[in-house]
Amino acid sequence: MLIKRLLATVLALGYLGVLGVVGASYYFGLKQFSARPAAGAGPVVTDKDLPKIQKNVQALEKKIAALQARGVYIVVDTGENRLYVKKGAEIVRQAVVSCGSGDVLEDPGGKRKWVFDTPRGEFFVRSKITNPYWVKPDWAFIEEGEPIPKNQEDRVEGGSLGDYALGFGDGFFIHGTLYTRLLGRNVTHGCVRVGDKDLKEIFKIVPVGAKIYIY
Amino acid sequence: MDGQTPDKEKTLRSQQELTWEYELAKEPHFYFVLDAPGKNLELRVRGMVLRTWKLERVRFWGKPAFAKTVRLVRKSALKPPQRNVIKPGETTTTPKDPKAAATFELEALELKDMPRSFSLEFDNGLHVSVRTKESGMRGIKGEIYWYGSLPLRNMLWARKGKTTSELEIRFENEKDAQAIYWIFFEGIKGLVY
Repeated sequence: MLIKRLLATVLALGYLGVLGVVGASYYFGLKQFSARPAAGAGPVVTDKDLPKIQKNVQALEKKIAALQARGVYIVVDTGENRLYVKKGAEIVRQAVVSCGSGDVLEDPGGKRKWVFDTPRGEFFVRSKITNPYWVKPDWAFIEEGEPIPKNQEDRVEGGSLGDYALGFGDGFFIHGTLYTRLLGRNVTHGCVRVGDKDLKEIFKIVPVGAKIYIY
Repeated sequence: MDGQTPDKEKTLRSQQELTWEYELAKEPHFYFVLDAPGKNLELRVRGMVLRTWKLERVRFWGKPAFAKTVRLVRKSALKPPQRNVIKPGETTTTPKDPKAAATFELEALELKDMPRSFSLEFDNGLHVSVRTKESGMRGIKGEIYWYGSLPLRNMLWARKGKTTSELEIRFENEKDAQAIYWIFFEGIKGLVY
């Protein structure tokens, strides 16, 4: 009987203790919560100041609008493997593409390492090439376990980049592919692969100098 | 002096937000705008909206900084995604023969490999938990953390003069949460308001 009573008392005290701790936690938490600036807590604007602020808002909106890309530009979503050609907020054309695999290749010699990511950031179309050929870099031979050729001609491969290519710097291109079944997947060494039909249209409507945003 | 009318407050707020955004838009880098009350998250560059996510729920503990420019200093997940290392001559990113593409077993880092639940730590101490709508035990675990562990930690830290500021954003679709992990690189700047 005594043990039962003791047990009940311990349980009740324990329960009260937990309630106390949780209550105190919420008290502190809510105290901080209420410390969030309330509506209207900022500096007070007088009727005299209002036109000046409104003018300032308009000026800032104009300044931001002036930074936006003019004409057509390309947006690439590397996660979704989608390419959009846009003009302002309007999507002119969209395509399923293949972006970088994110794989890592290390030179067995141990000195070099490549990460096959599609570079992210703001770029622009530097060149437009018809019937491009690929000058295979060292990593292409290392990946295949082949010796790196000494002659430049042995690096040249035709046909693998499709009919068109748009260069955006550092050897990266938006180009065609023989691997159309892999469109929509991350399989490339960093370039953006596009299907033939979409590539032809993109090549036609995007001029040299157009901005490219890759995220 | 009359009180602050909603219109005046809105104009003043717009001025402040646009000033901060202009500083970010001047640079050629991506930035984000998290509108917590509006449950909206946007990826922007040069003032242009590149992608928008609708948030299913936003809640916070403590005193998160709801304004000014913040910089992401760390992304942390229980199981961060790992890159595949190519074995020269054995594995490749693409098969040699295009016809083999149909049966090719792809070893790549893709969106589906990104965590669905992770946290983002910002330079001003703000901690953002990114979650996906979960049911069952996972959902219960999340609620225990939110209603039990966080307030407790808050109380213990408050004694030491520290406070915990946690903002939780939850997505309806797990792919959206994964996209945030994919897109938000360490160092990305943004606005939280």
